[in-house]
Amino acid sequence: MLTLLKSWVRPDAFHAVLNERSVRWYNACLRITRDADLAADAVQEALLKAWNHRDEFRGEAALDSWIHRIALNAAIDLTRRRKRRAEDELDPESFEAGPTSSAESQYVEQAFGKDLSTAMQRLSTKERQIFLLKHVEGWRLEEVAESLQMPIGSVKNSLFRAVRKLRVDLQVWRGEHD
Amino acid sequence: MINDEDLLLYHYRELDAADRARIGAALSAQPELAQRLQALIARLDVAASIPEVEVPAQALQRWRVALDRAATETRVTQAPRRFSFPLMWQAAAAAVTVFALIFSVQRVMQPSVPTETARSVESYAYEHGLKVHLASTERRLASLEEASPEERARLVDTIIGQNQMYALAAERAGEPQLARVLRAFNPILEDLANGRGDTTAADVSQLSFELRVMQARLGAGASSNNIL
Repeated sequence: MLTLLKSWVRPDAFHAVLNERSVRWYNACLRITRDADLAADAVQEALLKAWNHRDEFRGEAALDSWIHRIALNAAIDLTRRRKRRAEDELDPESFEAGPTSSAESQYVEQAFGKDLSTAMQRLSTKERQIFLLKHVEGWRLEEVAESLQMPIGSVKNSLFRAVRKLRVDLQVWRGEHD
Repeated sequence: MINDEDLLLYHYRELDAADRARIGAALSAQPELAQRLQALIARLDVAASIPEVEVPAQALQRWRVALDRAATETRVTQAPRRFSFPLMWQAAAAAVTVFALIFSVQRVMQPSVPTETARSVESYAYEHGLKVHLASTERRLASLEEASPEERARLVDTIIGQNQMYALAAERAGEPQLARVLRAFNPILEDLANGRGDTTAADVSQLSFELRVMQARLGAGASSNNIL
């Protein structure tokens, strides 16, 4: 069975899922990074990582889901690295406050719509990533914490903060919070 | 009182069994609480429903190329593994050839006068074996750069062993100059095997050059006794 799986995970299998699922991977990474180049880099990194570790693919999940998860981790990692570089060069607080580049703003504006854009802009990078990984990707809080290298309590707090910000900006809840 | 965070964690199935049961019961008993949760999730779904954009064609092409390249590199890096097993057989075959050669040369040096035919057959075997040795040494030297330290040491040991045998064969065949040149390679090869830093790529390159010169001379004067 293992031999069968290994023989199946060949370049043509990768190309097949690439053709079918690349839009999903790319958009997931784009939501995390909010940068087209970083998202493309994340997908490429995921493909190569998955290819190089294809012997570890056991087939419990579909190949595309496996690559999807690797791509998200790569996107988080690339964003983290970019942040470190930015912190070396810029005032860290100005970066933590949210995306500032015009390319990012343009993407958010285009993809999210104006109201949503404003709401998402109010989220910090971490809050946005945690909300997306939890609400959109359906990761367990432990998985989010591991990937973002944060304590699970901090992940929970960031998630609640993100929801509160989105709630205010989108008028989700109307004063029913205690 | 059930707060928003509890409701959210209930929805995400992140509560322990006791809290889950407690909130589940409250939701069943209080329709307004259930509506509150539904409203929250519906609005968060809106927040999360981000329209997808198309993948830039350039990025897609880049991924395909990267994948193809990785697959090709995998095939290339697997090649030396396939090569390493026959290499053992090559080494064994070369050793047998050299011993046969030494045996032949010893017979030639016997007091009895060999016929011209026997001498030319032995001469041919000697030159042919030497050519094979020089060519394979050159190939192995070329592959040293990509070899792991263990594989490198093993390859160099093989070359040195065969070199010594050929030097011995050359001496016995009345080729002292060739024997000297073959032996002159050994210190550099030993440095390579021991991983000493003073052996540079230039040394290996020089060695390869000498090997090619010797092969060229062998090719040019195959029938000549003094090939150098």
